[in-house]
Amino acid sequence: MRVDPFFAMNLSGSLDQTQAAEQQLTTELSSGVRVNSLSDDPVAAGENVTLLNQIQQDDTFTQSSTSVTGQLQVADSALGSVVTQLTQAISLATSANNGTMNPTDVLSVGNQISGILDEVESLANSSYQGQYIFSGAQTSTAPFSTSTASSPAITTYNGDNDVNFIQTPNGQKIQLNVPGSQIFQGTGNNSVFTALNNLVADYSTGTVNSVKASSDTQALGTALNYVSQQRVTIDNSITQLTASSDAVTNVQLQLTSAQSNLMQADVSKVSSQLSLSETQQTALEDVMAQLDSQSNSLFSKLQG
Amino acid sequence: MGTISNAFSTISGALQADQAALSIVANNVANANTVGYTKENANFQENDPVTIGGVAYGQGAQVTGATSVRDRVLTERLDQQQQLASASSTRLAGLSTVQALFTPDSGAANSTAGDIGSDLTSFFSSFSSLEANPTSNSLRQNVLSTATTLAGDISNAAASLNAQRSSLDQEASGVTNQVNALTTSIAQLNQQIQSTSPNTDAGVLEDQREQDVSQLSNLVGINQVTTENNGLSITTTSGAVLVSEGSSYQMTSGPVDGMTHFFVNNSDITSGLASGGGELGGYLTVRDQDIPNVMSSLDQLAYSVSTKVNALNNAGSDMAGVGGTLAAPLNIFNPPVVNPVTGIGVVAGSAANMSVVMTNPDQIAAAAAGAGTGDNSNAVAMASLANQTIIPSGGASQTPSDYYSSFVSSLGATITEVQTENTAQSASVTQLQTQNDALSGVNLDDEASEMTTMERSYQAATQVFTMLNTLMASTINLGQATTVT
Repeated sequence: MRVDPFFAMNLSGSLDQTQAAEQQLTTELSSGVRVNSLSDDPVAAGENVTLLNQIQQDDTFTQSSTSVTGQLQVADSALGSVVTQLTQAISLATSANNGTMNPTDVLSVGNQISGILDEVESLANSSYQGQYIFSGAQTSTAPFSTSTASSPAITTYNGDNDVNFIQTPNGQKIQLNVPGSQIFQGTGNNSVFTALNNLVADYSTGTVNSVKASSDTQALGTALNYVSQQRVTIDNSITQLTASSDAVTNVQLQLTSAQSNLMQADVSKVSSQLSLSETQQTALEDVMAQLDSQSNSLFSKLQG
Repeated sequence: MGTISNAFSTISGALQADQAALSIVANNVANANTVGYTKENANFQENDPVTIGGVAYGQGAQVTGATSVRDRVLTERLDQQQQLASASSTRLAGLSTVQALFTPDSGAANSTAGDIGSDLTSFFSSFSSLEANPTSNSLRQNVLSTATTLAGDISNAAASLNAQRSSLDQEASGVTNQVNALTTSIAQLNQQIQSTSPNTDAGVLEDQREQDVSQLSNLVGINQVTTENNGLSITTTSGAVLVSEGSSYQMTSGPVDGMTHFFVNNSDITSGLASGGGELGGYLTVRDQDIPNVMSSLDQLAYSVSTKVNALNNAGSDMAGVGGTLAAPLNIFNPPVVNPVTGIGVVAGSAANMSVVMTNPDQIAAAAAGAGTGDNSNAVAMASLANQTIIPSGGASQTPSDYYSSFVSSLGATITEVQTENTAQSASVTQLQTQNDALSGVNLDDEASEMTTMERSYQAATQVFTMLNTLMASTINLGQATTVT
């Protein structure tokens, strides 16, 4: 059988191939990335898109959840203070209504309750990052204002009943706010402000209408319970957010490690492949040099 | 009866024949590295014997010329395989430029630039961030800036694809001149071959013709038909005649719908060429099939995202408490063109036209229609578009991220497929080339041994001649040794 007289050309072709392989391996090593173009691994490239999408969604949620947890904590601590203030108001009102106090003391209690009213109103107008947190969606409007034109004074709600939710990457919706109307005005007899305004009016003169004051105090007690109940909603949201955020962080960690495994180069493997490729290249070059140095054509033997 | 003078003439014929054979060896060695040269063998032929008195006496040998050692089936196979390999390698080069636009995001912070998948996620995530604080100006700005990045990357990719398409178009039309030069040359060689050696191998002329055909095979997909008197006709794989024996038909090109089309005898053969093979086939496949496929995927993505996001934003209520109206729409993205007749949005071209038209971040409608500005329900709705199947793909629909994921997978798979195809075809070309070289290439060892054989044969003939000379001298002198030496 005849042989291809141009077999040395095939050697240079093989040399090109080993050099191309070395180039690819070097790129992987220097970038640390296994998939540098779509055709390196189409399936991995596709999976990578979905993984990165999930990772980034999780990341965004974790960041958002930090911000909204802050807002919920501000709301929670405001309501905590409201509860303390209301408890104090109830005890003041009760002490002033046992018939033993002189009118001056009664007036002083009235003033203290009025101070509590102002304090509760300012707590109800709490804001977070410049946004009122108890005014529903009307976050640029202070939710409560009191008009003293009549006696008892009237506190009105200027917000709305809008409730916001944040959606977790799993689609779960977590409540972000409770409208002020629901907390402080309640339903029926549960209004904090009506009860407080009534008590202020009850104790604004030296003489106390014992029956009315007692029923107003009781109303404030009911309203206090109602506020506590609403506070539970906010506490629940905080708990849910913490739980989801933890879960999401875990998932994100797993996804990130999956993504790295998918896309990152296995340095030891690539290095050994590179070394194999180099050995091959050296061998090929040696063969070519050998062929070159001893002209192995029959002609060289014919001379002489 | 044989005579000494007869022997003289026989042996001097042998000397000539050996010289002729040596000259053929010399020619082989001289052309050892000539591209397209086919090794030639000396044709030794026995001279007709002379019959004297019923006895046949051989009259030696002569060299009647050289025969090129070629296998037409092998060269034609090589040409065919070359057409496939050159088509797939051209297509691969085109696709590699295309895939450079969609380099995968490795996940490292510095690699996200230009990655449409990451852009999509960032864009929808900016709405998730807005959920936390719907009135925040910085979060609203972020929505517009991620939207600008997304629209910019999609429209840049579309623009680059269009640019690549037109440069492929130019390269393809450049092939026409080369094809015409080769077909003209083949037609001329056909005429020469048919007139000089209609029945036998035409040697050098045939080498040239084969060389031209092989070059033509690199450029376009062709079929070869051997005709009478050693002629050759060439058609494209789709059947358009390029060379018919002595005449060639010019391939012309001209623009049709903005792209170069190719004609032979005024009939459009573009689609046939695209699937035919050769460089031209590769260029046309990328130009007319691969890039339009990629483009239509991008168009669909751009169209669906733009229309869905715009529709939701118009349906909500912005910082001023108003929603979008026909007269004053709250569009974030440049709305895709609508066909004035059917009233249906036009998907094609959406990617190239994608841009952000909203400049005031307050116009982002985070709140539901009629709700206060602190409401976030429309932001929730827009963020959840990321997980809704809003992009039609085949019969079903996919989420934006899944859609992009399958898009890159399928593009990558196409390239891998062409790569594999090309590797196999190149290997097969190498194999056929090796076979052909083994047969037709000049092997210097063979030539050296051939030369030595001829040299020895020439030496032997001269010895015979010397001996005959001595014999003749003896005959002339008839015993008187001194007269003639």
